[in-house]
Amino acid sequence: MLITDALLQGILMGLLFALVSLGLTVIFGVMDIVNFAHGEFLMIGMYSVYWTNFFFHVDPLIALPVSAVVGVLLGLASYYWFIKYLLRGPAIAQLFGTFGLMLFLQYFAMFLFSADYRMINKGILVGKSLSVGPFIFDWTKLAAGILSLMAFAIVYYLLHRTKTGKALRATALNKEAASYMGIRTDRMNAIAWAIGGGTVGVAGGLLVNFYYAYPMVGILFVMIAFACVALGGFGSIKGVFFAGLLVGVLEMIFPVFGQLIGSDFLGPHFKFTVVYLAYFIIVVVRPQGLFGWKN
Amino acid sequence: MEKLKDALDFSDFSKAERIGLIIFSVFLLVFPWLGTGSFAKTVMIQFLLFSLFGMGWNTIGGYGGQVELGKAQYVGIGAYTVALMMVWWKIPFWISMPAGILIAIGYSFAIGYPLFRLKGHYFAIATICTSLVLKDIFDNWSLVGAAKGVELPIHEHPDFVYMQFKSDTYYYFFIMALFYIGLFYMNWFRKSKLGYQLRMIKDDEDAAESLGIDIRWCKIKAYSIASAFVAVGGGFMAVYNLYIDPASTMELSLSIKIALMAMLGGAASLWGPIIGAAFLVPLDRFLGSWLGGQKGLTGIDFMIYAALIMIVSAYQPRGIWGIIEQFRKRGR
Repeated sequence: MLITDALLQGILMGLLFALVSLGLTVIFGVMDIVNFAHGEFLMIGMYSVYWTNFFFHVDPLIALPVSAVVGVLLGLASYYWFIKYLLRGPAIAQLFGTFGLMLFLQYFAMFLFSADYRMINKGILVGKSLSVGPFIFDWTKLAAGILSLMAFAIVYYLLHRTKTGKALRATALNKEAASYMGIRTDRMNAIAWAIGGGTVGVAGGLLVNFYYAYPMVGILFVMIAFACVALGGFGSIKGVFFAGLLVGVLEMIFPVFGQLIGSDFLGPHFKFTVVYLAYFIIVVVRPQGLFGWKN
Repeated sequence: MEKLKDALDFSDFSKAERIGLIIFSVFLLVFPWLGTGSFAKTVMIQFLLFSLFGMGWNTIGGYGGQVELGKAQYVGIGAYTVALMMVWWKIPFWISMPAGILIAIGYSFAIGYPLFRLKGHYFAIATICTSLVLKDIFDNWSLVGAAKGVELPIHEHPDFVYMQFKSDTYYYFFIMALFYIGLFYMNWFRKSKLGYQLRMIKDDEDAAESLGIDIRWCKIKAYSIASAFVAVGGGFMAVYNLYIDPASTMELSLSIKIALMAMLGGAASLWGPIIGAAFLVPLDRFLGSWLGGQKGLTGIDFMIYAALIMIVSAYQPRGIWGIIEQFRKRGR
């Protein structure tokens, strides 16, 4: 009973985690860059919905396209103004570069919005819950899960059915061969960043319905996203979906086990520790991840 | 004896570099008598401490070319060993610091063994993960003070055995001594067999393997040397601050700072970490005290800091030393 509940809640969170990680894995697949600033894109997505709600009294769900547009613009701006120049350097410079971007966005948000915790407290779904038999779901989380699934499905469709999507995947498989076929790597990179920013922006817009927005919120989610991406295999889109679900269920079910055994050491403080450990173990035992194709 | 001669031998550097080192050493020696305030002294101590951290990182990150972002966990191990041994059993610093080093080395072998199966991004993120796991454990473990941290007992009289002094000058000379031991060690290290092996691994792993170098073992050895360096610094932090908590010793940002200073100065060069620390530590402190305190400008100090990281990594990934070498080549 307790476990089934945790399982269902975990799946809802997992769908959102999958959407958060989708952009990271697309960017990694196409250009082999780990984007540390990904969590900050999420944070800005959260803030964009929060402020639209605050100033224009638009319902957070209707304000969702705002966060998508902001995310896409942020992704494109980061790529054209910054990431492009990083590509000339070695891998370590790329890591530090995106890390610098992360710090910059964090403190920029702190400068603009202060370090206060902000949460949306009015909206159609905020504070309401749905009870199905013995289970109670928050509408906000339910909506977040379902809309994440929809967003994921749309991006999956675009990547697998449209010409641009196919070109993108071709670049991910083999950059050089794709460029011989007339696919412009530079444009594909930009598209990857746009997709990355857009999806994570939407995820932020969904998250702000039931989670505080504050400048440092990104680091927790970027670590979860790293774990999902590694679990699914770097660059694998199908993999990141199932990995997201797995991580969501893990972090929800773990405290429940602790509760059942009555152990303090398995308490909710450690729910993300489990995620990091899972990352470490899986990556060591199976470096290509669960569904990996890029080694 | 041979090793000691190697460590003290700087003859393969250019004349300008050797003169620079002498001027720098003289400056370090006379610094406490220059009449600067206590703020400048704390900045100098921080600078020497972070140079030491950076030198350690340089073995695995610079010469070995592995993107290692989990050094903070060893700062934590060093600091906690010293602090807890002092609080629990009143063990002198001179015993607890070596104990901290040994624990750090043991721990680095234990996690280095699985860790070095990984490469590139996988490795980088895995190092972050191990560091965060350790921080989470210390944050919630009531035996070691949990998130509240550990306060060291304060002695009334200055005490050499427990390394407690009233004046920062003593701490300054102590960290300076550690800094020179580190510098001489690194000077030996870069000419040692392991140093050459690591550079070979960095250039081309397959070629190194075909020459019979045990890649994984080399990396683990370099990693544990780096960990020992960082643990020494951690032990110093414990007696210097007299207070440690997981947030100040094991935070991800500390790991990044360590790696960043070495990279910004110039990785895989003896002077790199020192130059990086000389640049970033004062910048960090002055920006913090100058801009951070002003109302309505919170965060702008770190924005400048971050912008600098972005510019350096985009335009000169080889760091400040890279720029200097570029100019020297042009001058020739």
